[in-house]
Parts: sequence; structure tokens; C-alpha cells
Amino acid sequence: MKKPSEAVLLLLLLFFAPHAKGTRFSPPGKPALTRCRSPEKETFTCWWEPGPDGGLTTTYALYYRKENSEAVYECPDYHTAGENSCFFNKNDTSIWVNYNITVVATNTLGSTFSDPVDIDVVYIVKPNPPEKLTVTVMEDKGWPFLRVSWEPPHKADTRSGWITLIYELRVKLEGEDDWEMHLAGQQKTFNIFSLRSGGTYHVQVRCKPDHGFWSEWSSTSYIKVPDYFHREKSAWILIMVFTAFIFLILTWLLHMNSHSLKHCILPPVPGPKIRGFDEKLLKNGKSEDIFSALVVSGFPPTMSSNCEDLLVEYLEVYVPDEHELMLEEGKDLHDHCLKSEGSTSDNDSGRGSCDSHTLLMDKCGEAKEQGRQTEQEERPVETQRHQKEWNEDTLPYAHEDTVSPDMSSGRVKTWPSVFCPLPQYSSSPPNHTSSLEIAKQHCLSDSLFPPGSTSSYLTHPGHSTKETLGPSRWEFSLSNKQPRSLHPQMQTRQQLQARSDINLSNVGCEQAPVGLLPPTARPTEYVEVQRVNEEDMVLLKPVASGRGCGDGCPRLRQAEDYSKVKGVNSDHTLLLQREVMGEEAERCPCQDQETNGETDSCITSSTVTTTQKPPACNYTAAAVQDKMAPTVSGYVDTASIFTLPTY
Amino acid sequence: MSGTIRSVSVVWLLLLCLVLCRTLTGTGAAPICANAQAGCYAVSLANLFDRVVQHSARMHGISNDLHSEFEQYFLPSKNQVGRVGRNCHTSTILTPNGKENAQRMAREELTEVILKLLVAWRDPLWHFHRSMAHHHDFTNFSSDKALEMSDMVHELRKGVERVAEKMQTLGLMSDPVNSQVSPEALPPPDSGEWRRMKDYDLLYCFRRDSNKVKNYLKILKCRIVPEHGC
Repeated sequence: MKKPSEAVLLLLLLFFAPHAKGTRFSPPGKPALTRCRSPEKETFTCWWEPGPDGGLTTTYALYYRKENSEAVYECPDYHTAGENSCFFNKNDTSIWVNYNITVVATNTLGSTFSDPVDIDVVYIVKPNPPEKLTVTVMEDKGWPFLRVSWEPPHKADTRSGWITLIYELRVKLEGEDDWEMHLAGQQKTFNIFSLRSGGTYHVQVRCKPDHGFWSEWSSTSYIKVPDYFHREKSAWILIMVFTAFIFLILTWLLHMNSHSLKHCILPPVPGPKIRGFDEKLLKNGKSEDIFSALVVSGFPPTMSSNCEDLLVEYLEVYVPDEHELMLEEGKDLHDHCLKSEGSTSDNDSGRGSCDSHTLLMDKCGEAKEQGRQTEQEERPVETQRHQKEWNEDTLPYAHEDTVSPDMSSGRVKTWPSVFCPLPQYSSSPPNHTSSLEIAKQHCLSDSLFPPGSTSSYLTHPGHSTKETLGPSRWEFSLSNKQPRSLHPQMQTRQQLQARSDINLSNVGCEQAPVGLLPPTARPTEYVEVQRVNEEDMVLLKPVASGRGCGDGCPRLRQAEDYSKVKGVNSDHTLLLQREVMGEEAERCPCQDQETNGETDSCITSSTVTTTQKPPACNYTAAAVQDKMAPTVSGYVDTASIFTLPTY
Repeated sequence: MSGTIRSVSVVWLLLLCLVLCRTLTGTGAAPICANAQAGCYAVSLANLFDRVVQHSARMHGISNDLHSEFEQYFLPSKNQVGRVGRNCHTSTILTPNGKENAQRMAREELTEVILKLLVAWRDPLWHFHRSMAHHHDFTNFSSDKALEMSDMVHELRKGVERVAEKMQTLGLMSDPVNSQVSPEALPPPDSGEWRRMKDYDLLYCFRRDSNKVKNYLKILKCRIVPEHGC
């Protein structure tokens, strides 16, 4: 264990031996002149930096040579200026003369010369700091300022003009780090303004020859500036008071004239005035009172008013022969009125009175005329129903208002062409025929067709022979004068008419002054055009009569496709074709009702299924079909169908 | 349009006249006389001295700038200064080298020395300026400085002569100064010597001589009119 440590020690010793031996003597290192300075341009001092001495005692010597002279002189004074310095006194100093100075370090082993330095005393002047710095606080128009004064360094001879010094001073507040520099030039006094009241200032000054080095800063001089606030403050206080006073006055003025100012700046917006509107009521919070005040009597009409009041008077239009007169609208109005009471499910407001089954039932005697009709409307005659309506309803007679029918899309109402017994005309006790005629006349006259309609179902009383039988129109001619010599259709019609007349006459309208309604009325079914298929065929569908229908009626009625419109002839009348769906038989039983007038039975019988066919109906049906297909134009009514086979 | 142009031109002319008149009257272009005579503008000795002193200080400043510029760009080694300093052509002129020497010298001698120096430097500086203009190494600023320097030497000499005259008139100096100061009496400068000087040496020498002049003038001033700035 010991051996390695010993070896290490030996190694270390060997390594450090040469160094441990200590100094290796060598000649001194090269000294260097650091600087030469002259404080007053009369003497100067040079300092040098000794180099490594090489282990031996080294002496330094300074030698100099003057300009234009080869004589070498040694430094006269090594001590005055301290160690490693050479001081040149006045006798040795020559201004404007170039000195070549060299320092030599010498030891026993040798000497080393420093690099020579050329100096001219004029350019190495660094004076002492200024002396006798005094700072005083002076006052200029109430504002304080510092007056700083100093003396040049005593050694520097500025009085003879030998040296010209320029001064610089610096000032700072106590506690701050930044000095404020002021170049004073050649003057020896200086004024500092912009002081802070109550602050303590530090002042220093230094000097420099015109071409030389700056001196060190002089010792600091402290000065405390007294407080000067009272003077300024009084003025500020006055200003503040004055301002506050003015402010108060302005506020008071504004307050006094606030209203007028408001009117100037923000003119009031005129508010709306509602007659009868009382704002106080609003404040009271009773809205009912307010709104009741607003409510003008008579507007809006309340629901309590009679429906009849809303009904518009029919226009009585006399249409010449070309036009078919139809009267439906009046009934329709009533229908609407009734409907409004929730009687029917049919919401087609375009119906005329004749169209509405309810209306027909109710207002058999209404003398109302419609203003408008559509060409496609077809009006099956349903005297029975109408009779019923007439029986039950007293109101319609008084009605004169009409509600113009409107076409609900896709549904064409078939209008009964007969509602002839009109109350207007019926003032006399029933003279059936005459009344019928009158009614017919009125009815016919009332019925309005669009001008283009050339349906010839204008049957005036006395125009029984008229060729009003348009192909698409079906009309009751209530004329009882119809000759039987007419062609089968006419005959049929006449028969129909006759029957209808009979029916009408038979209908007991107690109230109706016309008394045209026969008690037994064949159920006239409305044919409702349900749709128009792509072949431009109007598909008709019997409309379930409201009151005339029994229980099973609507069910069945809707199930069958009533008839097809074969086409529209030139008279703008629809050619109906009853679609044979095996349901003709239903109608058959109804033919019996012509005589008995039992609507119900007819209806009920009509609800008979297709399988049930009274034997006569087959023929009838066939006949009907044969007859109806090519020639029938106009309404296809159950009655007509039933009547056909009676030829 | 023409009317406005006319009016504008008239206004401009008036302004110009005003400015000229101000400059003419303000600066007082009347010649300076030592004695207050008709048509002359008499300047006090103190004022003259101030002017001269400032002039010399400015001259020295310019020379110093030129020298440092030269030293910075053309002579990286500082040690050549010593070598140069001994060849100034003005070294023949005896100048006091210390404050006591300068203060011991009479004002007439001092004035004479100043004038000698100034005279000695007139030609070399002029040539120096011309050589600087030809050398494109120098910047225009240096060339302008050289020209200004030569002009200032010339004018300073005149100023110093004026001061001397003033002093003589005031009885502060005796006459022999003038006679010695006259440029004809001075030996002509060595025509060849200063030509051998290089530019840098010339600048170095002039820098020192201008400093001497400045210092001597200041001493004179403070000796004769000490009340201002001494």
C-alpha cells in the first residue's frame, strides 16, 4: 500500500521539482510607459508599468531625449510622483518640444528597454478639478434657481492666459441616478433652473484645457431647495373655487331650464291619439274597459247576429232564351247558413241553394237567384228533397240573400234545376198549376247560366215546347202544358216534368204559399261530380242527401260511381253517362216511389245492393243504358232513370 | 393670372431687399480702423484681441482635426511622430518654450514671433491645400479644411498686424515691432525645405505652431487687456 503512494509522491516531486525549486533568474521583463500627464502645462509626470522582474531585484530608469538633441537625460525625480514614476519639474519641462522617453528595467542578469514614447506636453494636460465649488439658491420672480460657482484649480494658471480651461458641471437630485450635465464654457458661474421644491441637489464640476484631458470631478456640493408651494397653491385654490362656483351656477341654470332645453334638444314626439282611448283606463289596469271603449258599436259584427242578416240579396236576373236559368244560389246561401250551424259536412261554399241538399230541403220556396254559376254544374232535380226542405223550413222564404256559389275544386255540384216554387211568387193559395208555372217561371228565370251556356233549359211557362233540352242540362220544366208530341226525350222530360209537377204539387208545403211541393217527392239525388279523370270524363257521384237519406244511404251512395260525363257538347253542357257498375238495379225500386212518394222507401231501396234487382229494373237499366248512353245529355237523375222504362 | 404673378414677384423682391438691407446694415461692413475716423468702424483693443484669439483658436482646431485625420488613416504607427518633429521648417524661429519664457518676453517680441510664424506658414499651407486637392485620397472635407486653414493663417496675420497697430497707437507697443513684422523684412522662407516635408510632417508642424500662436496671443491679451476671460 505504501509503495504506490510513494511512487505518486515521487512523480509529483519530479514534476514540480523544477518549479518547486523556485525562481529561475532572468533579465527583467519589458516595462511599459503607461501614461504621462501634466496638470498645468508646466510640469509633467510619467508612469510606467514594470514587467516581470525575472526573479531578481530590478531597477528602473527612465531616459529621455528632447527633440533636435541627441543628449539623453535621465529622469530627475523618481519619487515625487510615487512609485514607478518620473516627475519632470519646470526646469526640465519644455513645451512644444517632443520628448522621447524610455524606461529601462535592469537586474543583475540584464536590462530591458521599454518601447519609447513620444510626447508633447501640450497635449497631455490634465488639470486638477475645479475648487471652491459653491451652490446657492437664488430666486427669480418667485421661482428658485441654483447658482453654482467655482474656482479653477490653483495650479492651473489661467490668469496669465497660459491655460484656457472650459468647465462642465453636473446636477442630480438626491436619490436619483441620472446626472444632468451642463457645459459652462470658460465661465466660472452657472445657473440651474427648473428645480423641484423641497428637493436636495448634488452638484459637481470639472474642467479641461481646450486640447487636453478632462479633470476629475470635484467634490460634491449639496444644496436643499426650500419649498415654494404656498405661492402657487393659493392661486390654484382660487382657481378651483372659481371653477366650482361657475359649475354650480351652470348646474342651477340647467336645472331651471331643463324643460325648455329638453324641448330644444329632444323635441317630443307626437303620440298617436285614438278616439275613445282613455289612458287613465290603462293606468287602472282594466283592459276590458279600454277595449270596450274602443269598440264601436256595430263593428265588428258579433256572432250573435242572425245568419240571415249576412245573406245577400239575390239578384234577380232575367236571362233570355239562350241562357238557362237556374236558381240555386239562394238556396245555397241558406245551405251555407245552415251549414254554418253545423248541419252539413259539405263545405263547398260554391254551392247554390239548389245544390245544397239541405237547402233544397229547407228552402223549397225560395225565390232566390244566383249570380253565378259554372257551366259544369249540374243540377239534378230533387223535388222530393226539396219538398222536404220546404216542409221543414220556413226561413228560406224570407230570405232574399244569396250566397254566391263557388266552385270547390274538383267538385262540381249538380244543381237542381227546379226550385221553382218561390215564395215571392207564391202569394196566392196554391193553384198548383199556376203556382207551379209561376214557380217554374221564376225558377227558370232565376237560374242563371253563363252566357256561353246554350243549354236550352229555359222553360218558361208557355214555352213548353222550347228546345231547351240541351244535352247536358236537365231541367224540370214545370210546365204542365207540355205536349206529348215531343220527342222521346222531351216526352220523358215532360213526363218527368209532369211527374215532378205532380210531385211538386203533391208535396205538401204547409208553409209554402206556393204549395207546390207534392208530399210525395221522388228523391232527387244530387249528382256530384267527384272528379275529372284523365279522359276528361267527369265522374259523377251521387251525393248523399242530408235529410232525405236514410241510414244506409250515404254509405251506398258514396260507394257507387254515379255516372260518367261522356263529353261536353256544343252547348256547353255535360253529357253524362251513367256508369254501369251493376248498380242500376238500385234505382229500380225507386220507380215505385214515384207514385207513392215515399222517399224513404226509395232511398232505402236504393241502398239495396246490386244483387237485388227488381225485375223491372233490368230492363230499365238496360233501357237506360241504351238510352242514356248516346243521347242522354244532362243530368242523370235517378228519377229519370226510373222513369224511362215507363214509356 | 398675370396679376397674381406680378404681385408675387413684387412681394419677393421686397423681401429680398429687406434681407439684403438687413445684412448690409446689421453686420456693419465698414472697415475697422484703429482710430475712430470717418467711415471707419472703431473696434476696441479688447474686442480685437478677442477676435484674434478666437480666430487663432479656430485655426488650431482645424489643424488638430486635420492632423488626427491624417494620423488615423495614413499613419497607423504612432512612433513616427518623434521622427518627424525635428524637421519643421519653422524651427529656426525662436519661440519661448515655457510659461516663464513667454511671460518674460516683451509684447513686441511676442507679437513679432507670432507674426513670423504666421508668415512662415502662409505658403506651405497653400501648397498643401493644392496638393490635397490633387490627391484623391483625401476627402472633400479635409480639402476644405486645408483651404480654410491657409485662409485663416492669412487673415490671422492681418488681424495680428491690426492689433499691433492698435497697440502702437495706444502706446502699448513701440514701433520697432511693425518694422520687423513687415513681410518684406522677413527672410523668405526656405523655398526648398518645406517642400521636402511630407504632408503629415507639415500637418504636425503646423499643428504645433498654431498652438503656439494661440497661446502667445492669449498671453498677450491677458497681459494687455486682462479684464475679459483671463
